[in-house]
Amino acid sequence: MDLLIKLLNDALFSSIPAVGFAMVFNVPKRFLPYCAMAGALGHSVRTLLLHFHMPIEWATFIAAAIVGVMTIGFAKKHLAPPLMYAVAAIIPMIPGTYAYNTVIALVQLTAQSEVSPELTAEVISNGLKTVFILGALSVGLAMPSLLYFRTRPVI
Amino acid sequence: MYADTQNDITRQVVRVAQLLLAYGAESELVEEISQRLGQALGLASVEISISSNSLVLTSLVHGRCITTTRRIREHGINMTIICELQRICLLTEKGIYGLNEVRKRVSRIQPRAYPKRYLIPMIGLSCGSFCHLFGGDIMAVLITIFASSIGMFVRLSIAKRHFNLLVNFAVTAFITTLIAQLGYHFELTETPRLPMAASVLMLVPGFPMINAISDMVKGHLNVGISRWGHATLLTVSSVIGITIAMQIGGLFL
Repeated sequence: MDLLIKLLNDALFSSIPAVGFAMVFNVPKRFLPYCAMAGALGHSVRTLLLHFHMPIEWATFIAAAIVGVMTIGFAKKHLAPPLMYAVAAIIPMIPGTYAYNTVIALVQLTAQSEVSPELTAEVISNGLKTVFILGALSVGLAMPSLLYFRTRPVI
Repeated sequence: MYADTQNDITRQVVRVAQLLLAYGAESELVEEISQRLGQALGLASVEISISSNSLVLTSLVHGRCITTTRRIREHGINMTIICELQRICLLTEKGIYGLNEVRKRVSRIQPRAYPKRYLIPMIGLSCGSFCHLFGGDIMAVLITIFASSIGMFVRLSIAKRHFNLLVNFAVTAFITTLIAQLGYHFELTETPRLPMAASVLMLVPGFPMINAISDMVKGHLNVGISRWGHATLLTVSSVIGITIAMQIGGLFL
């Protein structure tokens, strides 16, 4: 029951950023609900997988692949490029805090007179997480066209 | 097919490719749409070479080649235009549009953006939701909404005056962080670190990064690397803004 509430909370609060950033990218108004749907589904799938102690990179990869398949369905229905829905939908999964922690630690490291091992460790671990989560996101999104639509266009 | 017709078709195709790149489509999509559009309009083949700020397109029909180059200036991301161009391509392929209709539709394309009064509150709420998802309490969420709405207002006002994007990001990050650290100074919230992390998330160049990696994965290495470089520069310049604001607030060092 707790898990269900957590997932619903997650879905609601990840659909808001999906719509907000879709508006920054000027997605036409009639497609905004689909961006919200894809964003909510992607982020709550990732939370569910994280709940079962999957590493965050793999959870992100699977969630992004699901978003990729779902947006290809939308794209076929509306004759619009699938990336239009997908990019707004994965915005809530972008590793913003990891990136933030990396660069803040990096700046602190620059300001110090000697290299401290704690800050170095923080830069390396957060930086690696950022790069690998970003890679998982975009390769996951590209999965349908890499595996299934190899020689023909999606729409 | 006469030479002037080939000229005309090539011009329309290269215009479509130029618009697609300027408004932030990935290279694979640009290549696919321009080839399909050219073939639908009667060209035998269209070859395209994309670099970071220009594109070269060659059209071939009846043993005659026309090569043309276009400079690309980034205009920011606009999915409405990309959607419209994709639709023109599909309708031409089905035989509904001819060359004249394509020319008319392409020349009529105007970039339209959502009005400020919707964008600013939506971005505020988005960053507030990020803060909530990271586990911030209600005051932290409110600070985040406030800071990021002001930040978005600053960002849009600077963008309207055509400043360099890097300057824009640094100034926006500075002002946003300056407001978001209020939680530290007045002890309003239990989690003062979260508003600072969440409210600058609107500056993370997510779209260029995803485009960069998917370009590189699909074999357009040089475009991918240049987009990655641009995204990194944007991140670094917002970090500079954040750092100055934190030093003024006396939060580290």
